[in-house]
Amino acid sequence: MIATIRNRFVVKEGRFGRVLIAFMALGFIALIVTGIAAGIATSRNEQYTQAVGHTYEVELAIGTARRLIEQGEASRRGYLLTGDTRYRKVYGDWAGALSPAIGRLGQLTHDNPRHVASLGILRREIAALLDQRAYTIGLVDRGERAAALAQFEHETSIRRLSTIRQQFDAMAREERRLLDLRNAAQRASVRVFYVILAMAAVILAFVALASWLTVSRYTRDLAASRDTLRRFNERLEETVTERTADLSRANEEIQRFAYIVSHDLRSPLVNVMGFTAELAAVIPPLAALVDRAEAECPEIVDQDARLAVREDLPEAIGFIRTSTQKMDRLINAILKLSREGRRVITPEPIDVAAVIDTIEGSIRHVLDDRGVTLTIERPMPRLISDRVAVEQILSNLIENASKYLQPGRPGTIRVSAEKRRDRVIVSVADNGRGIDPRDHQRIFDLFRRSGQQDQPGEGIGLAHVRALAYRLGGTIDVESQLGQGSTFRLNLPATYASQDTPA
Amino acid sequence: MNAHQTVGIVMIEDDEGHARLIEKNIRRAGINNDIKHFTDGTQALDFLFEAPDGPAKSGPALVLLDLNLPDMSGTDILAQIKAEGSPLKRTPVVVLTTTDDKVEIQRCYDLGCNVYITKPVNYESFAQAIRQLGLFLSVIQVPEVEEH
Repeated sequence: MIATIRNRFVVKEGRFGRVLIAFMALGFIALIVTGIAAGIATSRNEQYTQAVGHTYEVELAIGTARRLIEQGEASRRGYLLTGDTRYRKVYGDWAGALSPAIGRLGQLTHDNPRHVASLGILRREIAALLDQRAYTIGLVDRGERAAALAQFEHETSIRRLSTIRQQFDAMAREERRLLDLRNAAQRASVRVFYVILAMAAVILAFVALASWLTVSRYTRDLAASRDTLRRFNERLEETVTERTADLSRANEEIQRFAYIVSHDLRSPLVNVMGFTAELAAVIPPLAALVDRAEAECPEIVDQDARLAVREDLPEAIGFIRTSTQKMDRLINAILKLSREGRRVITPEPIDVAAVIDTIEGSIRHVLDDRGVTLTIERPMPRLISDRVAVEQILSNLIENASKYLQPGRPGTIRVSAEKRRDRVIVSVADNGRGIDPRDHQRIFDLFRRSGQQDQPGEGIGLAHVRALAYRLGGTIDVESQLGQGSTFRLNLPATYASQDTPA
Repeated sequence: MNAHQTVGIVMIEDDEGHARLIEKNIRRAGINNDIKHFTDGTQALDFLFEAPDGPAKSGPALVLLDLNLPDMSGTDILAQIKAEGSPLKRTPVVVLTTTDDKVEIQRCYDLGCNVYITKPVNYESFAQAIRQLGLFLSVIQVPEVEEH
């Protein structure tokens, strides 16, 4: 379930990230496009503004040139008619200003071929006009006003003037046309800009909406995951408690079963044993009878009867007896184990070395009989556990170590203990006959023994040791080679923690 | 005061074999008191409390009790015999059973059992225990001295 949640979580996060990045990229692209479009539109607008300004300048220049020509004409005519030198002077001003005005116009319109063409005609016409005006004004200067007037009547300046006016009009129209074209282009560009702006706005709105949806869905998923996780967490504790209770119940059941079975097996065994003893009690009178019959009346005693009473019966009874005794010991062993499993563990601080001292004291005579030396490596770490259980474990291990010696080698047993983090490891090492590696697991099973069966025992001790070690939350293992000795290592938690269901 | 009244032995034991072995060994110990054998608790209780010739109505008795009975637990019978106000409160009860569980033994003594004997598989010790019980029975002919 954890894995499922984690997977779902990871997948969502990955997809969420990609989707969000895609949306953000789209949004940024839209913004950039809008920005570029705005830039282009602004520069176009500037160009247009410049063009409009240019057009006005051109129109102004055209207007100035026209005004100068018209005013020059008016002053010339005034001078011709009146001979007043004020007109002559004013005319000089107008005529002098005309050339720069035309030049200015030429400058402004040099890039337009139509203007250039119109201007060519204008320059030519204006030059001819100025020549003619200069000529008539020269006549008046010399006092030949009549000749000048006559000349004026015949001159073509009216026609020339109208040509000039036409050219100016043409130029003004051309400029208007250009302005209209630019206007149209500007309007088109503004339209494109608005379209781009609208599209970008739509895209941005879409991105914002999609992002919001994604984020809100992701948040919802996240909240859901968190809730699931929390629920799961809450349930986990419950589950653990339940499982522990189940295990405890199952364990209790097994203990109870072992107890009942061993107990009920005992009842028939009492009968077998009791009546076997009754049978055994029958043998002496029977044997006496056969003896007497043999002495007094040998012919009635045949070989079968003699054998039955003197050999078969005692033999059969002997086997029944040893077997029942063995069975009783086995049943007792099961009972003992089941009883051990139900015993209440009472943790208390234990001085391991002191415990071993006690064991040594209680089996001192056995060790001396077997010629075994026991060494305790001090100091030993402290342990908080069940004293009785630890004592039983170590006493079993030390007893075993002193029991299975290598013939011809005086036994030595070395008990040491060390603390590794929160575990205490007690080692019982001997130089005895060792255990075949194939039997290293087997020896911890009930009723199983290893090696030569030359020592009394039922194969219960190590099974008991292992059951106790498990009960204390520990483990036991062995390292051994045949003929080299064995090392049993008891690994216990430094502080016993109850495995039973809390009440 | 009842020195001449014989003590009847009431044996409550569901296993016929066990009952026979117990009886044999009691007889061997030289105890010739009458033995009444019941194989279930209901009949035994009925005899103990209700029967006209039962211990509640007449004569002192001694109860040999097995704890594993088909219809009830031996401890229930023990509790009834030793209950406050029971006419048999002073009747000695010998619990004879296969259980050697300390808790069980303690419980029996708490309930008022006088002697607790584990039926050992080793027949010699079993016979020995029964014979000792016989000696005990010969000592407690008079119920009043049971408090020893």
